[in-house]
Amino acid sequence: MVLILAACGSPGISPEASTSASQAASSASASAGEVAEIEWYVGLGTGTNPEQIPVQEAEVDAFNADHPNIHLTLTVVDSEQAEQDLATRMPTNPPDIIGPIGIRGLQGFGDNLLDLTDQIDAAGVDRGSIEDALWDVYQLDGKQIGIPMAVYPSFIYYNKSLFDEAGLAYPPHEVGEQYEGQDWTWETVRDLAMQLTVDANGNDATSADFNPASIEVWGLDAQFTNNDPRAWSTIFGGSGSIVADDGTTAQWPDNWRTGLQYFYDGMWTDHFIPTKAELDAIEPGGNSFQTGRIAMDVVHQWYTCCVRPAEGDPPVTDWDIAVLPTGPDGTITSKLHADTVGILDTTENPEAAFEVLNWIRQNPALLQAWGALPAITDQRGDFFAGLDETFAPLEIDWEVSTQMLEYPDVPSHEAFMPNFNEANAANGEFGSRLWTTPDIDLDAEIDAHLERLQGIFDEAS
Amino acid sequence: MATAPGPAAGPLATVAPPRTGRFSGPNGRETATGILFVAPWIIGFVAFSALPMLASLVLSFTDFDPRQADEIRFVGAENYARMLSDPTLIKASAVTLRFALIVVPLSLAFALAVALMVNSTLLAGRNVFRTLFYLPLQIPIVASTVVWIGVLNVSNGWLNLGLGAIGLPAVDWLNSTFWVHPALAIMGLWGIGNMMLIFLAGLQSVPTELYDAARVDGAGVWARFRHVTLPMISPVLFYNLIIVLIATFQYFTQAYVITNGRGDPGGETLFFNLNLFREAFQFYNMGYASALAWVLFVVVLGLTAILFRTAGSWVYQGSGER
Repeated sequence: MVLILAACGSPGISPEASTSASQAASSASASAGEVAEIEWYVGLGTGTNPEQIPVQEAEVDAFNADHPNIHLTLTVVDSEQAEQDLATRMPTNPPDIIGPIGIRGLQGFGDNLLDLTDQIDAAGVDRGSIEDALWDVYQLDGKQIGIPMAVYPSFIYYNKSLFDEAGLAYPPHEVGEQYEGQDWTWETVRDLAMQLTVDANGNDATSADFNPASIEVWGLDAQFTNNDPRAWSTIFGGSGSIVADDGTTAQWPDNWRTGLQYFYDGMWTDHFIPTKAELDAIEPGGNSFQTGRIAMDVVHQWYTCCVRPAEGDPPVTDWDIAVLPTGPDGTITSKLHADTVGILDTTENPEAAFEVLNWIRQNPALLQAWGALPAITDQRGDFFAGLDETFAPLEIDWEVSTQMLEYPDVPSHEAFMPNFNEANAANGEFGSRLWTTPDIDLDAEIDAHLERLQGIFDEAS
Repeated sequence: MATAPGPAAGPLATVAPPRTGRFSGPNGRETATGILFVAPWIIGFVAFSALPMLASLVLSFTDFDPRQADEIRFVGAENYARMLSDPTLIKASAVTLRFALIVVPLSLAFALAVALMVNSTLLAGRNVFRTLFYLPLQIPIVASTVVWIGVLNVSNGWLNLGLGAIGLPAVDWLNSTFWVHPALAIMGLWGIGNMMLIFLAGLQSVPTELYDAARVDGAGVWARFRHVTLPMISPVLFYNLIIVLIATFQYFTQAYVITNGRGDPGGETLFFNLNLFREAFQFYNMGYASALAWVLFVVVLGLTAILFRTAGSWVYQGSGER
């Protein structure tokens, strides 16, 4: 059916012509006082969790009540299917607005998004209310395809009970702070994580009696990274790019090799990071920190969605967040996720769509539901106050999050690659191999992967 | 019936009855009613099978990305030519063939063995066992696959716990390039209920006098199975062979669920159909994916035709013929 829909599309009309025509139509309809139909498509990023959907629905109802000239409808598609679903809708009945959508998602649909530059200026959006670097994230081929809406720095979530049990001090909350007289580096984290990794007999990973076949608690994880070697390399090795400056050559920077080796050794040699099989055994869904068996976990701000103490007897009762350590390149890197909302260039009502977009990006209830740290700096205080309310009586040190925002990965670990989807799939297969296979020569594997990637990059041209 | 002599008509000539509509008269009305009843199926087939197939055939000669539908272009046989030099496709084809070599004989043998067991008069509570072996088919395949992921887990899966209990080392079923096909084959055995039922029907239709005659001739259990049972159930064996072969070439869901569509480990679960899915819905190469679909169709059709050609030499046709 998809193929029929595709075949019955209307090839031959350029997007520009289509958009111009629809803009004219929109103006005409606006002048006639008609109600503009706008469909908001959620599923390419956050917004699909069961507790988020009612909030979105309520806000949409409120918007419709306040805007008689626009009828907004909400479509929520499971994030596992959303990309395919949207792609197959594009030829015939695309929605108007998509989002929240992350940097990776933009690589798939960036070409289909409307340039918002004129509308941003016409609406008088205060560019100064958002850090300049965040605006750049949504510049694509000279187009401003989104307004920064939400940012999610990464940091270390740590389980205080496991630290207490091991008699170890909590990790630093301030950049530059030492840990027990040691500089806070990934090497220090390795030592700490091995002390926190405990087998069924209570031996930690530094002990000669430690049994890696019966680990009960792991010292470190980077959950939900989903086989992404670019992400792992960035976390443990610092910023880098898989694409050389010429835009066509595949590369794996030295600091990324170091970072990936750290990750690999952490799993297979030092055993303080769980392998995929070990994770599958304790939590097939991947939310390992919530099992209470992970002492430190590098995750983003959006993870506040899923660490809420559950009803009854939650496995993690007491946690806080700590700053990331200095990497092998001597700098701190907080892998950054960011979300925006975009308008598809096929919309028949671009002005109404922008009105909706502008409302979504500043809506505190939506941002709170998404666990989204607002890109608008003035809104951040209220956001953290809301989180304090959510997590009371825990007192989480949100200052850590604010500090980590100053160390984003540039370029992003989700940035453009030629032939993006195929290259991304190849990366996933490579990551999966590292995650599941012991005793490999990592440098040789990286070189072989680069060769494959180059072939994929070359196909793009 | 009215008759009238015509100018050139002989004495026995009759005038043709007045023409009636194709759907008038008792037979015609019956036909119309029949068509009316099957119309939903016909409409469904045309809308959801025939037209999409036709569309995919057309698309197989194009370069088509649904995200840029207006840039569709005709590329002739380029998509078909590309297959010859596509290393991923070559690997996916090899993976599918290797898996077929394991799973086709194994599932046929296991289904037949179970059918023999639940057909045996020596088994108490046969009906209970028949129900139990059929029950897994009632569980959605995605749900059962998720359960199997747990069963096959290297650390705490039931299979490895069983191996451990008899002193055997744990096997990393789903992450080992060597073990993942046997693991999927074992998973496949969970769903042999249909084949078992068909074999069971075949076994129950074997005339008992043939076994009596074989016993009189001194045939043992194996000889009776080899020379009576197998030839007599060869038509259902043939049917099951065709079905399992087609299913193996279309193998997708379990591989997709286990690896989230990546084909892990090391591409060993990147089956032909999963590769097709990735080309269509992850890489958006709809034209190439359509060409892959048609090649798969032709290959399976060809294999089925070859099996039908060989059927004359080993499938019992009735009346003492093979």
